[in-house]
Amino acid sequence: MLIVALDAVTTAALLFVISSGLLIVFGVMKIINFAHAAFVTVGAYAALVGARLGLPWVLVLPLAFATGAACGVLTEATIVRRLYQRPLDAILATWGLGIVIGQIVTLIFGRGVQFVQAPVAGTIDLFGVDYSAYRILMIGAALVVALIFSALLNGTRLGLSTRAVIMNEMLAQGLGVDSARVRLVTFAIGSGLAALSGALITPLSSVDPNMGVPWLISAFMLVMVSGGSLLTLAVSSLVLGSLQVIVSTFVNPILGGLTIAICAAVVLRIRPEGFARA
Amino acid sequence: MPEARQLGQAAASRTGSSVRLWMAAPALLIVGSILVAPLLLDTYMVNILIRAFFVAIAAITVDIVWGYCGTLTFGQSAFFGIGVYALAIIFTEYGFGSWQALLAIATAIVVAAAVAAMTGWLSFYPGSTPLYASIVSLVVPIVLVQILYSGGTFTGSSSGLVGFESFDLELENWFRLAGLSLAAVAAVALIVMWSDTGRLLKALRDNDERCTYLGVNTSRYRIIVLVLTAIIASLAGFGYAAFGGVAAPENASFTFGTRLIIMVALGGRGTIIGAIVGALSIEVASAYLSGSLPYVWELIIGVALIAVILAFPDGLVGLVKRLTHGIQPSEPRATTRLEPIETTAIKSADSEIAIEVKEVSKHFGSLSVLDGVEFTAKRCELLSLVGPNGAGKTTLIRCLSDGRERSAGFVAITGQAIDRLPPNRIVKFGLGRKFQAASIFEALTVAECLRVARTHRSRPSVVSTSTSLELPPAVISVVERSGLSERLDEVARHLSHGLKQALELAMVLSLEPEVLLLDEPTAGLTRAERQAFADILTSLASRDRLCILLVEHDLDFVREISSRIIVLHQGRIALDGSVDAVVNSALVREIYTGQQTGASGGER
Repeated sequence: MLIVALDAVTTAALLFVISSGLLIVFGVMKIINFAHAAFVTVGAYAALVGARLGLPWVLVLPLAFATGAACGVLTEATIVRRLYQRPLDAILATWGLGIVIGQIVTLIFGRGVQFVQAPVAGTIDLFGVDYSAYRILMIGAALVVALIFSALLNGTRLGLSTRAVIMNEMLAQGLGVDSARVRLVTFAIGSGLAALSGALITPLSSVDPNMGVPWLISAFMLVMVSGGSLLTLAVSSLVLGSLQVIVSTFVNPILGGLTIAICAAVVLRIRPEGFARA
Repeated sequence: MPEARQLGQAAASRTGSSVRLWMAAPALLIVGSILVAPLLLDTYMVNILIRAFFVAIAAITVDIVWGYCGTLTFGQSAFFGIGVYALAIIFTEYGFGSWQALLAIATAIVVAAAVAAMTGWLSFYPGSTPLYASIVSLVVPIVLVQILYSGGTFTGSSSGLVGFESFDLELENWFRLAGLSLAAVAAVALIVMWSDTGRLLKALRDNDERCTYLGVNTSRYRIIVLVLTAIIASLAGFGYAAFGGVAAPENASFTFGTRLIIMVALGGRGTIIGAIVGALSIEVASAYLSGSLPYVWELIIGVALIAVILAFPDGLVGLVKRLTHGIQPSEPRATTRLEPIETTAIKSADSEIAIEVKEVSKHFGSLSVLDGVEFTAKRCELLSLVGPNGAGKTTLIRCLSDGRERSAGFVAITGQAIDRLPPNRIVKFGLGRKFQAASIFEALTVAECLRVARTHRSRPSVVSTSTSLELPPAVISVVERSGLSERLDEVARHLSHGLKQALELAMVLSLEPEVLLLDEPTAGLTRAERQAFADILTSLASRDRLCILLVEHDLDFVREISSRIIVLHQGRIALDGSVDAVVNSALVREIYTGQQTGASGGER
């Protein structure tokens, strides 16, 4: 029972880290970045390369983030920027980019499945059960991401501009906020976070060119349900992540994988504002 | 091609049936080449094309849902997959035979329709966003594939089903069957999309909100379209599996769903022809290239998709149309005749209350926008709602026209409580709402916009475009006075701001409303246009006996036309009285000029 609870919390932490990048992009730009999964993959391969080069794990994570952010800057400047007026086309174009990145990764690294060693191996004893130390570490990672995120949003000038753009872009522009720059930085941070989460999940799952895709749907649904705030994203990750673990453990793992998508769709149907203002 | 144009015009003036006659020649040519082609092509190519024809049928359904109705759908592959597996499972379980074939077809249709209805219910409801519908469409194939994976030997799990006996046709005849099916589906799709119903679907894509406020149940239309296209996609999958003798989870996967979208995007969305061009060229090219250059081919597809979306959103067909501008006959657009109709509605007595508002309040969290608003308005009244920015005027209009907007209170339109009804139901009580920014259908012509506005009275034809447009006298008068009558067949996007406002008013009046809500109709109009608007509004109130509620900033305009004025201030009604009493009150002077006069408000 305790293991299920720990699974639930750590799964929620993973989901939160993966969705947060998507959330910030959705909040600012009102588009869903379908290349998010590809950026997760990029981060995972960055971690793989870093680990092969013998870099310590504390350097691998910034490397992954920087790689993702660089991809994000390129993407925003060449593709996304021209499609703000056509959000559905932005979905398609970023999906096309996802295909391109996936194929480039395949061409460089091959199709094979590869593995990365966890930086902290083994288990730790928690309330009398042995539990994977790395998964526990994920809770910390999620908290750190959340803290840095809110510090950035609430404590910096850029964060203030970002919040202004999220609330009312026209007004923010009128007040002299450079919304193009806000978008570029946001997209870079969102993509960097995707890559970071990719690096974080590598020790838990194998690395392959399509590894990001299974996470993508859950992340989409969480972002839609959360309605755009970091706090509600955390709540949605916890509620739906726990449900997923419960269904996977007690009913059937395949159904478990669909729990988030189906529950979120039904929640949104009944309550279009999702968990926002709940 | 002057002959073609003349022919087109002649055909158009003789209603839709002869338009199709005019298109008979190319149709015969296509049918002829489908019959002959398998004798000329090599076997490999014939094989590929047969599959490509079935895939193209699925691509057409994507084009209808996305290109025409505006929902980017990743889910059509799921319906295709349902057709594939209906055949494979039934033939594997029960063997091949005529009753099995019928059972398989029936299963394909019923299951696809049921899943589509479910998906539609989830995706389309008052207030749902296109983005949300898109994400739901993504979930459907993913759920289906997971079900297929966990189906054991029944579904063949990840390896799918093979080795079942299927229809025994010669290759040439498969080609003809698939090709003619594609041609038939394309022809039906084109006829329907060019008909008045097709225009209505485009109107949904252009402006769902306007459709709702014209009394159209947009969710229902979208669900019906989804169910019908799902059945067609499912039958395409049925044919695909019947020919190939294989059912694989990939046939239902969202990867295939996105592939279908890519085909439509590359070929040109919203054209039907583009879907076919895209599907055939990608299928044929990938058959030749994916073997030798698997990853590079995928890379090319990805790059091509990005390039097309950035540079040619209309796809190949759009590009060709642009290059051969004027030569290609575009969709047949008929010249339209206006026909006045008698207004049949029995209008009630003048004294009857048209708008009744009791204790209406609206708050966002702790912020109160409207607080205990209460008033009534009768027929023939031209009631103006004034107040500073942020007073809650537009919010009040919203609360009157959409039952889900207000936080508390009671609203009745022509004596009928609006409860929590969506706008399309309230419109049926006799409400018409004109938005602040002209809300019209940019891609349709003026006549088509008006026809969509008449949907509630005359069900649009599924096969033809009618050339006469029956409108109530009030609309005809607006159309003629504004000068729209000379531009009936012009695309609304190209109209001036003033004409767009007039068009929207005409569309709203086409509903034959008894209550008319107008949100700053004169903003941005020239002096002459403004005067014309004033004349129209006063005659609507006096001659057509409408109850008009007008939100307006311009006090001079308000003074000129109103019979009564309500002042809204900080979410409450501050004043409600005759024009003179309100305009000369201390409060209004204070609000509008910022002068402190010492007198406080509330002279109710």
